[in-house]
Amino acid sequence: MRKADIWVSFLFMLVGITVVVDSVRLGFMWGRTGPASGFFPFYLGVGVIISSLIVFYNALSRYKKEGAGGPLMPPGALKSILWVVIPSTAMVVLTELVGLHIAAALFLAFYMRVVGKIAWVTTILVAIIAPLSLYITFDKLFLIPLPAGLWGGYLLRF
Amino acid sequence: MMENLSNLAMGLGVVTQPYNLMIIVVGLILGIIVGVLPGLGGANGVAILIPVVVVMEPTAGIILLSMIYWGALYGGSITSILFNIPGEPWAVAATFDGYPMAKGGRPGKALVLAFLAHGVGAIFGVFILTFFAPILAEFALKFGPAEVFAVMMLTFSAFVGLGGKSPLKTVVSILFGFILAAVGMDIVSGQLRMTYGTVVLMGGFNFVVAVIGLFGLGEIFLTVEEGLKVEGIKTRIGLKDIWDGMKDITHYPKALIMGTLIGCWMGFKPGGATPASFMAYGFTKQASANADEFGKGASAGIIAPEAAAHAAGTSATIPMITLGIPGSPTMAVIMGGLMIFGLQPGPMLFKEHADFVWGFIASCWMGNVLGFFVVLAFAPIFASILRVKFAIFMPLIIYVCAIGAYAVNNRMVDVYYMLMFGVLGYLFKKLDYPIAPMVLALVLGDMAEQAMRQALIIGHGSPLVFFSLPLALPLMAAALIIFFWPVIAPLKAKMFGKKT
Repeated sequence: MRKADIWVSFLFMLVGITVVVDSVRLGFMWGRTGPASGFFPFYLGVGVIISSLIVFYNALSRYKKEGAGGPLMPPGALKSILWVVIPSTAMVVLTELVGLHIAAALFLAFYMRVVGKIAWVTTILVAIIAPLSLYITFDKLFLIPLPAGLWGGYLLRF
Repeated sequence: MMENLSNLAMGLGVVTQPYNLMIIVVGLILGIIVGVLPGLGGANGVAILIPVVVVMEPTAGIILLSMIYWGALYGGSITSILFNIPGEPWAVAATFDGYPMAKGGRPGKALVLAFLAHGVGAIFGVFILTFFAPILAEFALKFGPAEVFAVMMLTFSAFVGLGGKSPLKTVVSILFGFILAAVGMDIVSGQLRMTYGTVVLMGGFNFVVAVIGLFGLGEIFLTVEEGLKVEGIKTRIGLKDIWDGMKDITHYPKALIMGTLIGCWMGFKPGGATPASFMAYGFTKQASANADEFGKGASAGIIAPEAAAHAAGTSATIPMITLGIPGSPTMAVIMGGLMIFGLQPGPMLFKEHADFVWGFIASCWMGNVLGFFVVLAFAPIFASILRVKFAIFMPLIIYVCAIGAYAVNNRMVDVYYMLMFGVLGYLFKKLDYPIAPMVLALVLGDMAEQAMRQALIIGHGSPLVFFSLPLALPLMAAALIIFFWPVIAPLKAKMFGKKT
């Protein structure tokens, strides 16, 4: 837990530094017509660096005194979270190829059957009905086109 | 006063048109479902529906968005009372006595009490909205850039000083939100900022996408981690429950009034609903003659926090619509919806789009009254939604979130951002960084920066412009006092401690 705290505050510091660097490039002083583009971000960056430095210092000193503290996640949690993160990322990547609705149908079927161990009948019914009804609502009724991907247009032709 | 009433009557005329009435009912039902499901709160429900709302007519669209909010407030009580799972942070206090009462054999009565308290709190909140908002808007017309910036400072100071989380982490969260808002094109000079030569970053970050990721996916990861076990109490609401609930609520007028007033007061402050519900619970418990009954299913222990949470939820609309400063993430998303229609919330909205504003206020009246009946009639059905296996509705929620994130700007990259914000939201929650201030900073970023730059130009570069009389100085002073409250409070305690 404290290790993660230290790392995250360190990352925030890095973010702050990159922001400050870019603000200096843009100019953070008084420009020709008022404060320059980098004025506001410059102080934001400085603020993030200072406050995350203190968070970093506090976490580090507590880490040295009291050890790492409890784990960030309870045991076994990382696995079940990855079982959500990886398939949903896969769905997004697949969307680029076959479009959101077909990718989602595959994602639904995969998660329900493989991870959730839901009965085949329910799995297939939900994986077909849900994307179909959302496709009709968004793409056909409200005329909000959702990503079709490279081949989605050929696959869904109605 | 009379003018407000006639405006309200006009608004009610708009709202009771059959089409709008239908939207109200549909919105309420959707909202209650959203409130019942874990991982989908008010903020998310509204964010996901923004693309649908865009193709609607503005008044109908905003009615739909606000109904989802009211519905989600009602829905949160169902899960906290029947399942001991608060769907929203402000519903936590309702579990203290609601769940024990439901477990003790009176789930119907517990629900009726919660809904009644909700209804009373909300109606009082809407009452204040109706008569106080126009006055505040009139006053806010006098604000210049320095005052606008000072009000924003006040908003964010409230998170730091009164938010209850680590003040430093809150500051980091706010500044990070502002930084995300600054990515992309600079609105004043047109220069590209923090894009580091990439094309993707030129479009910046949309806060609706951030909301969907941070609140939707982040919440799902947390739920998955905890391994959701749903053990609900089955119930139906009989006439006897309704009768008992109504009798009980008249027995505890103190709890009801205290909850409502605390809620209305706290609702003005950002993130006020959650502390309001806890405060109301605590005060009622202290003031009660039989405090040891609390936690075992005391009626007053349900009434007070529920009235407070819902009163705060409604009065949070006031700063949003009058000052353009949303008090909660959900309000921020609703405000985002308004901005998509080209309606900039703030004092000018009352002048330029009076019909729209009053339609919205009237819909708050209708929504909260109708919401009570809808939720009362169908609470058992809504509760059964939670009995659907998590493995079925969880991927569905992710799917719907992806639709929402994409449709905001029709950009695929937003769906990737949504995934990243999901992981970030999970980390924030785990490490105790508050999420709401970051979202608000992302929403208000451009406005805050513009106000600050304009004020500085007016003041010829001198920061003293933020401390000018008569309005900016007191606002800024209040902001600074609240900001440093975590440092001031212990000092004050020390001084008082020495005296006594």
